[in-house]
Amino acid sequence: MALIKKLLQSYKVIKVGDWFVILLFCALIIFSIKSLWNLPKGEYLEIYKKNEILATYSLNQKITKKINGIKGVTEIMIDNGRVRFSESPCPKKYCIHQGWINKANQMIVCIPNQISISIIGPKRGYDAINY
Amino acid sequence: MTLSTINITDRDHQIAKLSAIAIALSLVEFFFPSPIPGVKPGIANIIILYTIFKFDIRMGIWVSLIRVFVTSIILGSFLSPTFFLSLSGALLSLLSLIIFKNLNRQYFSIISLSLIASLAHIFGQFIIVRIWIIPHNGIFYLLPIFIVSAFIFGLVTAIVTNKLLQLNPKK
Repeated sequence: MALIKKLLQSYKVIKVGDWFVILLFCALIIFSIKSLWNLPKGEYLEIYKKNEILATYSLNQKITKKINGIKGVTEIMIDNGRVRFSESPCPKKYCIHQGWINKANQMIVCIPNQISISIIGPKRGYDAINY
Repeated sequence: MTLSTINITDRDHQIAKLSAIAIALSLVEFFFPSPIPGVKPGIANIIILYTIFKFDIRMGIWVSLIRVFVTSIILGSFLSPTFFLSLSGALLSLLSLIIFKNLNRQYFSIISLSLIASLAHIFGQFIIVRIWIIPHNGIFYLLPIFIVSAFIFGLVTAIVTNKLLQLNPKK
């Protein structure tokens, strides 16, 4: 209770201009989140087996692809801009549980079957930066 | 040979005392783990804001710069990237305080000044990071986190400073 009372007392200190500054600040926060956290949508899908690119597909289609990995057949579903693993012979199904991905530079990896997919945007980004 | 004497005024004593408190607060903050790497509350800024409001902006500049230099020497980060980060942040927030110190006190209280200074601090650091430490546009992805933390800690700093000023009113 005492804390709430103190907070209310500090509320009295805020003047008209302060509200203006606070509102501007909130607008800046919203603007920065919208403009800076807006990652580009992917355009192409690359499918890797071990280290080699097996195939590249456009994301603007609705198809299911079957790929032979080292353990069995993996099924990859492309659905107009997004993609996921729908079938996999691996025991824990982490790749399936990762769900849909749709942004540039996102990827899903299935270690047991040695299949991975990666979305390519307009520009190729970095997966990590070391300095 | 002429003998040069330095007259130590009350003002110098005042600056020394306030700087000592600010340095102590910086060190306390350094040894506390921060929840998000890179985000620090900046509790020493309470003392600097307090100095600016209780005394004047020149004294605030002294205290702020002494704090930056002495803290970095104590922690062994003098002239390292950390030091330049804190120096650029301090310089830009002081600059913003110099520009905005004449805001009408009837409409703008310490909260506005604290928010403006904390935002300037973040941008000062970001300029150095972008130009020198991580010269890649990828770091702009982190900017919203720092702006939000600047908002929160700017408000907290202002409220605490306001409380301090109420306890020690201007003579």
